[in-house]
Amino acid sequence: MISITDDIIIRTVSRVLIPFIQVYALYVIMHGHHSPGGGFQGGVILGASFILYLITHGLEEAKERMSELKAGLLSTFGILLYSGIGLLCLIMGRNYLDYGGLSTLLKVIPAQARSLGILGIEIGVGIAVMGVMFSVFFDISTGGILPEDEEDLGVNR
Amino acid sequence: MNIFLLFGMGLFSLVFLCLYRAVFGPGVLNRIAAISAIGTKTLVILLLMGFIYNRVEMFVDISMVYALLNFIGTITAAKYLEMKGEL
Repeated sequence: MISITDDIIIRTVSRVLIPFIQVYALYVIMHGHHSPGGGFQGGVILGASFILYLITHGLEEAKERMSELKAGLLSTFGILLYSGIGLLCLIMGRNYLDYGGLSTLLKVIPAQARSLGILGIEIGVGIAVMGVMFSVFFDISTGGILPEDEEDLGVNR
Repeated sequence: MNIFLLFGMGLFSLVFLCLYRAVFGPGVLNRIAAISAIGTKTLVILLLMGFIYNRVEMFVDISMVYALLNFIGTITAAKYLEMKGEL
């Protein structure tokens, strides 16, 4: 189990750095169609910020910010956003993920609807990737056994 | 000859010196420091590539992500060693 580090330099640096990392991740997601990046890359950076928080502040404090349940819910919500936009296009009479069909719904021209549609898709992918990244790291670092389960299972670690 | 290309090649040759320390270096701390130094050199080389191709604004994004993941990787390796009690 990862405990809080007793080095004040690492704790302070990470506490200062994590908000900037998250803002940068949002920039990578939102600006993905003009520069390198996109939903997946931004999601990885966002997940890395939470992983940094878990490493430096320990499991107990990190669970208050982002628990395994929250990560699972966020990853499924991202997939729901992705497939929901795709199905919305299907309902509007176009192909799956053909964002031109959203133009009547959003009351904009089709080109603008396509831009907004791909933005929604990238936000969904980013949230899903963030959740899965954090969940994978969380499961590996705890071995799938949380500290409160240890008495129930009788595991000596 | 482009000065950015010249400096990039110089840094590229310096990477191999760090690689020697990462492969043969005594102890695991030398290896972590060497890999961190290689990551720093790589991000400078990425920026120089941006100057060579005249698209700095794209390569700045890439090198920033590289610096970030390098930092997190170094801290994770150090934390792993601390937990294993090998330090």
